[in-house]
Amino acid sequence: MSYKVTEEGNISTVHLDGEIDMDVTEKAKEIIMPLIEAKKEVHLNLKEVQYMDSSGISVLIESHQKATELGTKVILKEISKSVLKVIMMAKLEQILNLD
Amino acid sequence: MNVAIKSITEQRDFVVSSSSLKEVRSFSREVFEKVNINQDLKDELVLAIAEAAQNIVKHAYQGEDTDDKMEIKISLENGQLEIGFFDKGRPVEEKNVRHRKIDDIKPGGLGTFFIQQIMDAVVFKEGEKPWINHLVLTKNLNS
Repeated sequence: MSYKVTEEGNISTVHLDGEIDMDVTEKAKEIIMPLIEAKKEVHLNLKEVQYMDSSGISVLIESHQKATELGTKVILKEISKSVLKVIMMAKLEQILNLD
Repeated sequence: MNVAIKSITEQRDFVVSSSSLKEVRSFSREVFEKVNINQDLKDELVLAIAEAAQNIVKHAYQGEDTDDKMEIKISLENGQLEIGFFDKGRPVEEKNVRHRKIDDIKPGGLGTFFIQQIMDAVVFKEGEKPWINHLVLTKNLNS
């Protein structure tokens, strides 16, 4: 997995690229969580994520819940077909912020 | 180009580690490339296999570093797919393996749910020596 972070005002956009599995979830959290803790609105661009498993979904849930707790939000952008399918399999399309 | 194969058996060993999951997916994709099923189903089967392998790393070995190997065997016979997972970790008791309630939104506990959604049956067996655990996932690809 690789990533790029861009900032615009209070919005941080994290562009994730590659496959997100148990092996990279800690790295993903290290990127995303400090932005949420800084009360940024975090946009996760998932256009280039070709694979996500239950560990990746856990990162999305954890990020969403942390953001809600801190009064900000995480919005999932340009979700790839394969990631959307896993989000729907987990029945999270009404829970997470999908754009 | 996909080639329809009526019978296939392929197996491979992997070090029990989260860093092996990518290789597990590659192996699974290679096998399913030889089978004439649609891409969505291939992706689902790869996910189920990777989740089961992840469960071995997370639960049978509780994330500990080890040199142990796990074996994955994919067999297809007349459209009946059987995927075997063999490991030497802690014995898994089937009654302790359950996914979280799907409407209880919290991180974790989804891997087993995904496997059950994708496969027709999930059976835990006692492994024959030298294995401790033997998990069998099955799916009828004709239906």
